[in-house]
Amino acid sequence: MPPIVSARNVSKIYKLGKTEVPALRGVSIDVHPGEFLSVAGPSGSGKTTLLNLIGCVDTPSSGTVEVSGQDTSKLGERALTDLRLHRIGFIFQSFNLVSVLTIQQNVEFPLLLQGSSSSRERRDRVGALLDAVGLSDHAKHRPSELSGGQRQRVAVARALVTRPALVLADEPTANLDSQTGATIIDLMRDLNRKDGTTFIFSTHDQKIMSHASAIVRIADGQIVGREQANGAAAGAAT
Amino acid sequence: MTSVPTRWWQVGILLQIALRNLWASKARSAIVGGIILMGAVLVVVGSSLLDSIDAGMTGSIQGSLGGHIQVYDARSKDELALYGGMLGESQLHPIEDFEKVKRTLAAVPGVKMVVPMGIDQAMIATGNLFDVALEKLRADVRRIQAGDRSAQTAERYAAHKAHFRRMVTVLDGELRQASAIEDEGGPSGADRRRGREERARAISDGFWGGFDADPLPALEFLENRIAPQSLDGAWNFVRYVGTDIDAFFRAFDRTEIVEGTRVPPGQRGILLGKLYAEDYLKLRTARRLDKIRDARNIQGRTIAKDEELQRWVRENTHELRDILLQLDPIQAAEAGRRLREALGSKETGLEKLLVQLLTTDDSNFAARYRVFYDKVAPLLQLYVVRVGDSITISAPGKSGYVKSVTVKVWGFVQFRGLEKSALAGIMSLLDIVSFRDLYGHLTKEKAAEIEKLKVEAGLKHVSRENAEAELFGGGAPASEARATAFDENKVLDKRGSRPAPPGSFSPDEVDRGVALNAAVILDDPRRIPQGLGAVEAAAKRAGLTLKVVTWQQASGMIGQFVTLSRIILYTAVLIIFAVALVIINNAMVMATLQRVKEIGTMRAIGAQGRFVLVMMLVETVTLGLFFGLLGAGAGMGIVWLIRATGGIAARTDALYFFFSGPALMPALGATSLLASLVIVALVSVFSGLYPALLARRVTPLEAMSSDD
Repeated sequence: MPPIVSARNVSKIYKLGKTEVPALRGVSIDVHPGEFLSVAGPSGSGKTTLLNLIGCVDTPSSGTVEVSGQDTSKLGERALTDLRLHRIGFIFQSFNLVSVLTIQQNVEFPLLLQGSSSSRERRDRVGALLDAVGLSDHAKHRPSELSGGQRQRVAVARALVTRPALVLADEPTANLDSQTGATIIDLMRDLNRKDGTTFIFSTHDQKIMSHASAIVRIADGQIVGREQANGAAAGAAT
Repeated sequence: MTSVPTRWWQVGILLQIALRNLWASKARSAIVGGIILMGAVLVVVGSSLLDSIDAGMTGSIQGSLGGHIQVYDARSKDELALYGGMLGESQLHPIEDFEKVKRTLAAVPGVKMVVPMGIDQAMIATGNLFDVALEKLRADVRRIQAGDRSAQTAERYAAHKAHFRRMVTVLDGELRQASAIEDEGGPSGADRRRGREERARAISDGFWGGFDADPLPALEFLENRIAPQSLDGAWNFVRYVGTDIDAFFRAFDRTEIVEGTRVPPGQRGILLGKLYAEDYLKLRTARRLDKIRDARNIQGRTIAKDEELQRWVRENTHELRDILLQLDPIQAAEAGRRLREALGSKETGLEKLLVQLLTTDDSNFAARYRVFYDKVAPLLQLYVVRVGDSITISAPGKSGYVKSVTVKVWGFVQFRGLEKSALAGIMSLLDIVSFRDLYGHLTKEKAAEIEKLKVEAGLKHVSRENAEAELFGGGAPASEARATAFDENKVLDKRGSRPAPPGSFSPDEVDRGVALNAAVILDDPRRIPQGLGAVEAAAKRAGLTLKVVTWQQASGMIGQFVTLSRIILYTAVLIIFAVALVIINNAMVMATLQRVKEIGTMRAIGAQGRFVLVMMLVETVTLGLFFGLLGAGAGMGIVWLIRATGGIAARTDALYFFFSGPALMPALGATSLLASLVIVALVSVFSGLYPALLARRVTPLEAMSSDD
């Protein structure tokens, strides 16, 4: 099975005035379908940059990133947006729900952007996901009425509603207490196991890391190690 | 994986996002919405008021003097100003051959009528109280000389003599007071001395003792030497339009006779403007009473609170001379009797009774007003000029001499709807032949005719040095000189016509001759621009040097008023909306900056830039349309309220003209509503555009920042 993500010799250099700050230096990584991959490293090590490049919200300074077999450097802004819309789900550190929409509408939003499903399909899919994350009773609430953990569960539901091949989560538990964080990771792991959706999440929390099927360690913009952990999703072993 | 355009089902979510965002920041929405609302109200109310004024003024001007198109000679120094310019009447080059103009323009398709006009000002001699009293006296003398020996006539004759003698006594007192402070030396001093001697004679027993024996020379003396000494305003300015009066009435349907009759065709005559008569020719006491009544009834002012009304009341109680001098002893006794009865007073002095009558306050004004008009006015001559009188109009003619014409006053005239407008109401209508006499312009034909007359009469130019020799023939027999004397009958016989009797003229004289401008009336008033072009072309083809203008241009400053008001309104609207634009723009930029993370998130999870752009625009446009509609509705409400409460009253004479009547009833035009909505929509789109473009540039990376 071909990798869902394939990065080759990727560098990313940020320009701060006249000085160039390298965030990634020649990173190569393959991620296979069904993996539950953790990117680990201290802050400033380049985790977020790597996730941004994989998530097509940023482009590399050199090297290539392929997502679902497509070379992102060859895609325009619109095509990248479409790629995100149809193939990738996002979970953010600070949940990033649309504050004026209800929980249900927040989850439904990507489907509306896709514009290809009927309202019945949308209702069913959103209902099923809210069930799965245990928030059916809160469908009509606004994000501000929910706790942090609940909001992140809404974000998980939103990330999965389009049935993406890949879900990216940048420090999904950083704004949660450790217990709630663990529940979120459990939830993600369950969904990974059930649907085979590939997850890549970054964290610097050892406990969270332990849930991953594989851990990629990154330091100073370079991958310093990759270790296979227990309990990877079916067919994820390399 | 194709790019998916914004679909209609996305509109629902866009609207929800927009409305909820607007609701979430209520203060900002209220401020922005308030400004848009104000602007919309201003556009709707302002333009509906202006539309109504426009319609009113169009009616006023087209129906009173303007017609649809005006023509005048292109060589004129000034532009035509029907209602007077800044510096008096405009100087127009005369249209010498009006007949040709009329013939040419009347043939243009769509032209209904061509009416000659000549607007000018002149002085009229209106006579004074002495003239009025002398007229009564002369009538008595005539009756007696005709053999009337009745006791009633004798009594009236005696009363009128006594009245006149008392008037001279009053006049003498006034003039002595006036001259007490002046120098008696010099030529004017001599005049004054002579005047005093004449007055002394007119008061003396000797003069009146001998009056009956030879009344005519005595009357002559009083008329020529005493009456002119009176200080009463014997001169008045009158503004008139010399025209084909018959055609004028047909062309300007607002013209109506208030009193008297039209000037019959072929007759000289004047129809005095009713308002002119009220303002300038009416007994001042009566005029002030009218003004107090109007101020109270129309403008809602009260004597108790209004200083001007108090002043008019005061003036009425102080200035009784005009009334007292008008009444001879018999009339005075009658007036006294009537006033004692009406006022329930025991006072015997007429002056005190009048003071009592005219000392009015808000509670008794209406009753006293009626008493004055029912009891006192019938004994008085209310207007110095009456229908049927002849007045002498004098104007400096173009030939350089002062020209005078005596015409009969056939009636008073007014323009319906403009009764109280000073601009239109003071205009009088004069027959065009009299106008030409006053204007004094010599057409080429007339000049040639006079030249011919001079030759036929044997007149020739003589130099000063040779004058004596030429006159006395240098020893030639006097009989020869007599042979070249002017023989009027001979000359007239040669011309083969008799002079028209004064007061009438042949109908074809109306068109043949000078006019200053001409009003062109079209069949269809909506086709003025087309008519203008056609008239211009026809004039050019006929070789006429005419300037062709619309009624609007012809009305001078007045016509520009609406345009000016529109400019002011639209400038105000523009400023308001420019400010609104800046404020809305700022507010939306702030909103965008506050929502960068949310927008970035949307972009990250797959929203195209276009979606974000539309989302932001929907927000401003929704806000704009909501408050714009609310404002238009409020504007409609205000307009409705103005109509329901009887419109805006024309409190001044000038407003009367602009409103074309006593009150302005604003009408809601579809155009003003549409204009307000279009403006509001444009403003919202433009003010929302920059922030929306800014929002579109937000990258999905913004979603990743973890700074909150």
